[in-house]
Amino acid sequence: MSSIITLTLPGEIMFVRFASQTAASLARLLTDENPPASDGAQFVHDFELAVSEAFTNSVKYTGEHDALQMLTLTFEFQPRQLTVSVRDANPPFSIDRPAPDIEKGQIGGWGLMLISKVMDSVTYRRDGGSNILSMSKAI
Amino acid sequence: MNITETSNGGVAVVALEGRLDMLSAPEFRNNRSIIDPEKTVVLDLEKLDFLDTSGLGAIVGASRQKQNLACGIVLSCMNDKVRRVFEITKVQTLFHIFDDTAAAIDFATNRQSAST
Repeated sequence: MSSIITLTLPGEIMFVRFASQTAASLARLLTDENPPASDGAQFVHDFELAVSEAFTNSVKYTGEHDALQMLTLTFEFQPRQLTVSVRDANPPFSIDRPAPDIEKGQIGGWGLMLISKVMDSVTYRRDGGSNILSMSKAI
Repeated sequence: MNITETSNGGVAVVALEGRLDMLSAPEFRNNRSIIDPEKTVVLDLEKLDFLDTSGLGAIVGASRQKQNLACGIVLSCMNDKVRRVFEITKVQTLFHIFDDTAAAIDFATNRQSAST
């Protein structure tokens, strides 16, 4: 059985921390209930980092296209896994673009790469006019 | 985020505490030693609890502003959380990194002296 929590926040810079620290709190609750085999603090930090990156990306593009957009975070709790989805109404994007190569002087664009490294699975889908980026991590 | 700044000869030691993210990146960028293209900085990251790629971009951008110096920004005392972000993105290859601030100051001072 899974539980779902949905949070709707303005797509503004000042809410990035609210989003990421809420994610950290929820991840901490889950790991308190289901202690992970590996490092629980690392699990919490990875989750916080992934949400910070995803929410920041949504805010950056919200600023370019729609100053009044609301962003929706959906947290889905399963006994051994936590999933968060970030939904925005920005233009579509791809999660398959190549990672920036710092040896070739490519600076920036690290957000999605970092998310893919710290989470177990990352999926993207376009639903009507919305982007939905889902990120899961097993305990 | 708290920023504590001390001077050590010609090197500024800037210690960050708290979170460096999209919200606090402007405060970091506008710090007087960070923004000064002629100032060599040792950036002490021991008490930085959280760094995301917005914060990372601010550090890299500050370093690029100092690229005319022999030694622009040297990093010290990275904790595991911060080190992980640097390593995943491979940004650690752009910096000299030391485990303690005294060694970072010595390195920066010596590089400064050698270039004058």
